[in-house]
Amino acid sequence: MSRSRHTLLSLGGLAGFIALWELALRSGLLPGSLVPLPSVIPGVLWAEIADGIWLEVVTASLSHYAVGVLIGSLLGIAVGVAAALLPRFNAVHAWLARLLRPIPPLAWIPFAIIWFGINPSAAAFIISIGVFWINYFASHSAVRSVDPGYDEVARAFGHVGFLSRLTRVSLPAAAPGILSGLRAGLGQGWMTVVAAELFGIPGIGQRMMEASSLLATDIVVVYMLTIAGLYALFDFLFVLLQRRLLRWQP
Amino acid sequence: MNQPDTAQGHDAGSDDAPVLTARGIRLGFSGTTVLDGVDLAVHPREFIAIVGASGVGKSTLLRALTGLLTPQAGRVSIPHGRDADSRAWSMVFQAPRLFPWRRVRANVELGLEGLELSRDERRRRALEPLALVGLEGMAERWPHTLSGGQQQRVGIARALAVRPRVLFMDEPFSALDAITRRRLQQELIDLRQRTEAAIVFVTHDIEEAVLLADRVVVLGREAANRPASVVARHEITLPATERRDHPDFADTVQAVEAAIGEH
Repeated sequence: MSRSRHTLLSLGGLAGFIALWELALRSGLLPGSLVPLPSVIPGVLWAEIADGIWLEVVTASLSHYAVGVLIGSLLGIAVGVAAALLPRFNAVHAWLARLLRPIPPLAWIPFAIIWFGINPSAAAFIISIGVFWINYFASHSAVRSVDPGYDEVARAFGHVGFLSRLTRVSLPAAAPGILSGLRAGLGQGWMTVVAAELFGIPGIGQRMMEASSLLATDIVVVYMLTIAGLYALFDFLFVLLQRRLLRWQP
Repeated sequence: MNQPDTAQGHDAGSDDAPVLTARGIRLGFSGTTVLDGVDLAVHPREFIAIVGASGVGKSTLLRALTGLLTPQAGRVSIPHGRDADSRAWSMVFQAPRLFPWRRVRANVELGLEGLELSRDERRRRALEPLALVGLEGMAERWPHTLSGGQQQRVGIARALAVRPRVLFMDEPFSALDAITRRRLQQELIDLRQRTEAAIVFVTHDIEEAVLLADRVVVLGREAANRPASVVARHEITLPATERRDHPDFADTVQAVEAAIGEH
C-alpha cells in the first residue's frame, strides 16, 4: 500500500469513528449522560482555555512531568550503565533490583504522601519511579550488548581509564538503546502523571477528577485529548533529537 | 632496503637495540595453555611476519606482546606509555573496528586524544595518514558509507597517526576480497618506506608473509596437544619491492611452507 493511501485510510478511520459516535448519540442509541457529543468538544476546550484553567493545569502537570522524567531518566541511566560496567556493583544491586522492580509506581503513593506531603514533589516522585525502571533496563542491556571489540580498540589506543572508555565507547555505542529507553520513558511519564495527581495535587488529573464528579464528561474528554496531544508533541520532538544524535547509523 | 646481500631486515641492525623483546611467553585460557616458551625480538624498522595455522595462537601472541593480554609467565619488554606526541605502539585489527558513531577523521584522532596536541594539531595529524592511504577526501564521511577496503585503510591511518615505534597488524587483510587485498598489500609495501615503525604482522597466508616481511616467524606445535611456540624462523633475502615477480619468490614461499609442514 502506498504511503498516501495509508494516510488517507487512517484519516478515514478516525473520521468514521467520530461520525459514528456523534450519530449514535444524536439518534439516541447511546445515552448522553455517559459520553459527550464530539461536536461540543472544541467549544469546551475553548472555554477551558479562555478561563485560564487549561493553561494552569497543563503547566502544573508539565512541571511534575518534567521533574519526574528528568530525575527518573538520569538515575535510571546512571544505575543501569553502572550495573552493566561494574561487576561488583551489579552483584550488590541485583537482588534489590529484582525485589523492587515488580512494584508498580502507584503502589508508592502512600510513601509519596508520607515523605513529601500532598504537593508537586510527591507527583514528580511517583512519575520518576516508572521512568526510572524503563531507563534502567534499556541502558543496562544496551551497554551490556556493546561489542567488546570496541573496548579493545580504545585500550589499544591508550584509553585505559574507566571514564575515558565510558565516554569514548560505552555511552556512544549504547546510545541507540539508551535513547529508545528515554523515548519509552517519556511515554510512561504521561501514563503516571494523571494517576499521580488523582489524590489532590493540582494538575490535569485533578481537573479530570473534579469534572467527573460533576459528570462533566465533555471536560474529561478535553483533557484526555490534551494528554494525547502533549504526548504526540513530545514524542515528535524527541524523535527529531534522536535522529540528529544517531545520524551516524546506516 | 634494496640490498639483499647485507644482513637482512634491519641493516642498521646490531647497534640498534631491539624495540621489542619477548622471552619465554606462556599464555592460556581456562586451563589450557595456548602458547609456551615464545621468544621474539623486533628491531627498529624491522618487518616481522608471524605465521601459523588458524587457532595456533597468533592473535593471542600479538595481544600478549602489546599487553592487551597479560602473559602467565615470561617477560615482554616494549616501550610503554606515550611521549608528548606519539605512542609506543598501535594496532590494526582484522575487522576495521572503526567507531561507527565517529566520522572518519575523528576515528583517526582516537589515539591522538590524550596526547599533548592542540585541536588543530590533532586535526592535522589525522589528515596526514589519511592522505597517505589515499582517503583525505573522505575525512568527514561516516564509516558505514565506506567500502570494506576503505574502512581498513582508515584503520591503518588510525594506527599510523600516533607515530608508533611498533605497529601491530592482526591479519589486517584476511577479511578483504582478493583484489582489494592485493592492492592493500602493495600500499603497505610503499608505506613502509615512509614510516619509522617496526611492524609485527600476523597472517595465516604464507605468500603474504614472504611478500611483506624481512623475517618470517613460524608459530606451531611440536605435537598435537602441546602448546605452540616458535618452530622456525626465516630471513627473507628477496629485495624489498617487486617481490612477487622475483624468480626466487615461489621457492621462498615453498621453503617456509615446508617449515610449517613439519609442525
